[in-house]
Amino acid sequence: MSSDYTLNELMIIEAARHIRDGETVFVGTGMPMVAAMFAQKTHARNMCFVVETGPISPEALPVPTSVSDPKAMHRAAKLGTLREVLGCLLQRGMVDVGFLGGAEIDHYGNINSTVIGDYDRPKVRFPGSGGANDIASLAKRILVIAPHERRRFPERCAYVTSPGYLDGPEGRKKAGLKTPFPELTVVTDLAVLSVDKAEGKLKVTKLMPGVSLEKVQESTEFKVRGASSIVPVQPPTADELRILRQEVDPDREYLGKGD
Amino acid sequence: MNQGRKNQSKLMTAAEAVRRFVFDGAWVGMGGQSIGRSAMCLYHEMIRQRKKDLTLVGCNLSIPMDMMVGLGLVKRTECGTGNLERFGTTQCWRKAIEQGRLVNEDYSHLAMVTRFLGGEMGLPFMAIQSLLGSDILGKKSASSGKKYEIIDNPWKPGEKVVLLPSLNPDVSVIHAQKADETGNLIIEGFLAHEPEMIRASKAVIVSCEEVVSADEIRRYPERTTIPYIYVSAVVHQPWGAHPTSVYRSYSHDAEHMREYQKAARQGGAAFEDYMSKYVFSCANFDEYLEKVGGLRKYNRLRQEMAEML
Repeated sequence: MSSDYTLNELMIIEAARHIRDGETVFVGTGMPMVAAMFAQKTHARNMCFVVETGPISPEALPVPTSVSDPKAMHRAAKLGTLREVLGCLLQRGMVDVGFLGGAEIDHYGNINSTVIGDYDRPKVRFPGSGGANDIASLAKRILVIAPHERRRFPERCAYVTSPGYLDGPEGRKKAGLKTPFPELTVVTDLAVLSVDKAEGKLKVTKLMPGVSLEKVQESTEFKVRGASSIVPVQPPTADELRILRQEVDPDREYLGKGD
Repeated sequence: MNQGRKNQSKLMTAAEAVRRFVFDGAWVGMGGQSIGRSAMCLYHEMIRQRKKDLTLVGCNLSIPMDMMVGLGLVKRTECGTGNLERFGTTQCWRKAIEQGRLVNEDYSHLAMVTRFLGGEMGLPFMAIQSLLGSDILGKKSASSGKKYEIIDNPWKPGEKVVLLPSLNPDVSVIHAQKADETGNLIIEGFLAHEPEMIRASKAVIVSCEEVVSADEIRRYPERTTIPYIYVSAVVHQPWGAHPTSVYRSYSHDAEHMREYQKAARQGGAAFEDYMSKYVFSCANFDEYLEKVGGLRKYNRLRQEMAEML
């Protein structure tokens, strides 16, 4: 086990561990793509990578800057249309994991990538949903990766772009979503949080090495509670670090230049 | 709605295509996705001709939308996102919304495709099952009309279905790798929302890297992405998508993207200088290409694309 790694690197490796081999994974731009590429090069060689612009099962090259980057299309089985991936695969229920980044993630796992403040005259305008709402609404399992900063983890999102459990354990069911009780996991550089289905709220299930629950609470606006058992995140192996650093993101676009 | 349904030559300049098919107040469908395959040569011309009061629609609206918003030519956008991804949010768009100068109505990408799907099928609305419970339904602009309807599945009461109104843009703007003179198109690489949007549009203007013979199309008709019957104008413009990428032809120009983003982020004189230098002081797109490029750069962008295939 190497001790020479950043929590940012471990966040990506840990998120990748939540993808099982053979699964169909809908991947958003940015960090999710890096983690998914890492998974594809390690334990999930048979995963089917899906990108919202249309690529089905590409072998993405390091590192796509966008969902329309040709690196995300390399050696795909097919380059389809948006309807073929977001509609046919995702809406029909053929996607196992929806993998998203998030600007703001609240206690119920809802994600905001749209606005803070008034809709017509917001304080801050973010890019918007893209495929994120569709992915969170329709994937069988939701996986989120995000840096752990206090302002990113409010009690309630200013705007719900992508639904987690909305307002409680039956939130999705009441809204009429086709996947009413998905597993919802958030991997950060401090911890792993999963929705406790009895409450519809995120709880800490794993802590990064050297991180305490108190430290997680300092970086979170909502009240942080641990699940009934909390385990440490496994540190990366030397091999995992080598693959991540040399094969997935050699220019450290997402891994970051410094510590 | 007789915007070029005929089997005849539609080759023309960008200036003529824009003059004839883009009007003030038009609903314009934007092809491409963030840094991929945007018909920049046609948008530069729209800007030079000061087409205004536009409603821009699409999935991921990007640089050309941002330029037009920055110039005050756009009154409304309906889209899934304003985004250049790794290069950041579209800055003129972001500021215009924050300052109340632009109305943006949010949808998801599947929702926009669903609206185009209703449009291309000649139907008044189309069904979707994402969006439920979110603020995409819960919140809307004060000036927007009826955004959606939720119904019960008539065959399974209790199951909710969202209906969205169809969207038929007045004109869509597309960059294709290949077109013949009549407008049969071959689009390579990702397609995103384009097939549905093109077939829903009342007019379609296309710039292309290469004009091919009708024979080349008609010998392999199963490879045609869009038949001529949908296309109103064909403009031959190699490198017409710069700085966005064109699959199999050239990669995106990251350096120029950053230059634009810097100008857009700063706004004011910096943005005006960019627009003046690269759009208003150029009589046509070839002049712009001379300013931004040079043989070494263009060879590098071609090489970068070849290495990604």
